[in-house]
Formats: sequence, structure tokens, C-alpha cells
Amino acid sequence: MSGHVRGFARFVGRTASRAWHHPIPTGKVWEQAWFIGVKAMPILLTMTAFIGSNLALQGYYAFKALGGQSLLGMFVSLAGVREMAPLMVAAMTAAKAGTEMASQLAVMRIREQIDALEVMSIDPYTWLVVPRCLGILIALPALTMMCILTLIGTAWLVTMLQLGESGPQFLHTAFGALTGQDLWIALFKAAVFGLLISLISCYCGFRSKPGPRGVGDATNAAVVTSAVVCAVVNYLISEWMYA
Amino acid sequence: MSEPIISLRGVSKAFGDLVVLDDVDLDIPAGQTTAIIGPSGTGKSVLLKHIVGLLHPDAGHVFVEGVDVTTVSEAELYEVRKSMGMLFQNGALFDAMSTGDNIALPLRHHTSLSEAEIRARVEEVLEMVELPGLYDRPTSALSGGQRKRVGLARAIVLQPEIVLFDEPNSGLDPLTSDTIDRLIVRMKETLGVTFLVITHDIVSAAHIADHIAMLHRGKVEAFAPTAEFLRSTSPVVRRFLQRNLDLDATTAGGAPRLPHLD
Repeated sequence: MSGHVRGFARFVGRTASRAWHHPIPTGKVWEQAWFIGVKAMPILLTMTAFIGSNLALQGYYAFKALGGQSLLGMFVSLAGVREMAPLMVAAMTAAKAGTEMASQLAVMRIREQIDALEVMSIDPYTWLVVPRCLGILIALPALTMMCILTLIGTAWLVTMLQLGESGPQFLHTAFGALTGQDLWIALFKAAVFGLLISLISCYCGFRSKPGPRGVGDATNAAVVTSAVVCAVVNYLISEWMYA
Repeated sequence: MSEPIISLRGVSKAFGDLVVLDDVDLDIPAGQTTAIIGPSGTGKSVLLKHIVGLLHPDAGHVFVEGVDVTTVSEAELYEVRKSMGMLFQNGALFDAMSTGDNIALPLRHHTSLSEAEIRARVEEVLEMVELPGLYDRPTSALSGGQRKRVGLARAIVLQPEIVLFDEPNSGLDPLTSDTIDRLIVRMKETLGVTFLVITHDIVSAAHIADHIAMLHRGKVEAFAPTAEFLRSTSPVVRRFLQRNLDLDATTAGGAPRLPHLD
């Protein structure tokens, strides 16, 4: 365990050094941002739509018992923006983009492609890791914004069309409860989660052991570690920002 | 023997309890082809990875063109590596790129050539490895032998002083192996650079090498000019050669002989 922590710290140090000192391959960064963002969008927005619907339903029945249906918009927007949207984006990105990063790099490791880059004097951190980290930094805040809008939008539709409550009142309480700081914190969380997911996934891929089992283990370790670390870091950021 | 271009001094490497290289001393002569042979798992590829600085020895030093690659900074190591090209066991080609783009990768990174000049240089090396016109072919459409030749084209595209081969014949049928051997011999004559070939195929080594070294249990068991090596009286060398000698005797129906000695 301590070996992994030291190894990960070295990996992060090298990546940061390359991002700082070497020319950044901007074409590859945008390619990764596009790849991560566009490929994740359909599944992410579908999931978010149903989570927004569920938040509306659960909130409605809970608040109705207390006579507080008018607070539904506030409940959906605060829960959604502050916690659900960044966490949903992180979970889906770890499961999709993170596993792809880990398995791609693991395969490159066992096929000696990473060694080949080294021997050709092409730095694999600059070539493979930095674009993935920067690409995810661009994609995740954008995905989080889309998730927030989808989540509130579907909750609003359910409130109006299914629950028969006032749509304008929902929107009024939803956006009235939100502050600019809530949005910034959500985007900050998304950026931190993105950085963590990309670094953990690339590290697991780089450290892959040979064979199909090595690739499987690297992929599994990437998604499990990313999910746990993001959950813990989410708690720490919320505690820091909202306490 | 000419001046060494690569020297190993007291190189030792262990992975856990497994000692792979044990106090290895070896001088690779410049401008010639040296083959390092030995049974599988005897540390041949590990030795090669020490030369290119992918692995660091537990003890000892590796000098490439006079530079100690075990002590230089990463930036200096990258400079040293520009004088080396390496053919990996399975080619190590990037599947997302075309054949030509794989070969062009070092040119795009380390030269200021225009795209037209890069294309011309890539076509030139493709001709040299007898694969003309394959610039745009996806690497997924290449056969095993073609992948090796594309890997070789990529290794020589920057005109390095040293070309390293990690098992160039592994996984190939005898005819394709023979083609690769011919190519190595012809390219050595054309380029006049140092070739270092890791192989367990003694027939191939006898065809292509000026010198042969044998690794056994982490040590250099024998190192001599090829003809002399094939006459070695070392029991370990004799045992390693025996299988090929037996095959040769069977097919020739006569006394054991090796192609290089004919």
C-alpha cells in the first residue's frame, strides 16, 4: 500500500513537471476533451434525467407530508448542484473514461509501446498522461454544467406534468436557493474529480502487470480507487466549503 | 575487434530473489553486428533494457558511446537515445496510426522536416525494408513479418549509430525469419552502423552476426567472433548449439554443420 502511495506521488510529480516544463500537445488535449466529453454525454444525461426525476418524486412525497411542497425546487437544486451532479459525473467518468484510460495504457505497457516511446526519446508522460489530465479538466466542468441543467429540467417537468405542481414556483425556489458560489464549488469539485480520475487511471495503466489479467486488474483498480477517492474528497470539499 | 561502442561493467540485476544479471562485463564492437544468445528467461531482454536505460542495474555501469547511461539525467538519457533505434519483439507499433505515421513519429518529434520531406524519408526507409507503398496501410492489416519490418524502418528512420533488435525472429515462420535475417545483413552493409541482436535462434545468429555472446544464468558464458564461437568447447555452448546441429545433420543427412560455416 505504501509502495503504491509513493509510486503514485512520483507519478503525479512527473506529470506535473512535464505539464509545467514541456510544450503541451494542445491537439491531443482537445482530442481527449472531445473524446471524454462527447462519448460520455448520452449515457450521463440519460442517467441524470432519471436522477432528477427521482429527486423530484422523493422530495415531493417527503415535503407533502409536512405541507412544504413549495420547497421542492430548492431541495432539487441544492441536492443536485451541490452533491449529485458532480458525483454523478465523477462516477460515470471513472466508469467510462477512467477504465478506457487504464486499459488503453495497460495494453500499451504490455505491448511495449510505452517503452518504444521512451526509446524514441518521446516522453510518455507528455505524450500520454498530460493530454488525458488536461482533456478531462476541460470536459468534466462542461459535463457537470449540462448535468445540472438536465437534472433541474427533468425535475421541473416531473413537478409540472406528473405531480401537478406549479412550474414557475419550482423554478423560482430552485434558482432562488442557488448562489454563484454553489455553481463554482460544483465546477471546482468536477475539476478535482477529473484530475484525480485521470491520474489514478493513468497510474494504474502504467503500472499494469503483463497479460490479460494484468489489464483487467489495472482497469478494476482504476475504477474502484477513483470512485472511493472521489467520494472521500467530495466529503472533504463539502465540509471545507459549507461547514 | 574494433573499439567498443557499448560497454557493460559489472552489471547486476535481480528481481526479488531472482538474479537475472550477475556481474556482467561485455564490450559491443562499433560498426559490427553482435548477437547475444541464450535460453529463454536468461536475461537477454533485461540486458537490452539496461543499454537503452529502461532498467537501472542494482550494481555496475553501462556506457553507450562513452556516456554512462546509469548515472545521466533523464534529459541526457533522452539525448543518448536519439543515437539508438530499437526493434521491439512485437514491433510495438501504435495501432491508431497508419504504417507511415508510425515510422514518421520520431521524425515529427525530433526534426524540423516538412511533411513532404517526412513522407519522402518514410517512403525511403519503407523501400529499404522491402515494403514499398505501405505508407497509408493501417498497422492492423500488417502480417507479423511486416510489423517487424515496419518496426525496423521506424528504428532506422533517424539514422542512428546503434540499432538494437529484441528477438527479431520470434513468432515468425522459417521463411519470414530468413527474410528478416537477409534484411539485417543487407542493412548492416548499407548503413554501416552497430547492430546488437538479442535472439535464441543460433541459426539466425550465425547468419547475421560478426560476434556472438552467450548469456547463461546471468553471466556471459562465451563471447567470440562467430566462427570461433561455433567451435567453442564450452559444454554450455555446445549443449545450446546441439539442437540446431542435430536438425542440420538430419536435414543434410550428413555431418553436423551450420550455415555460417558452409
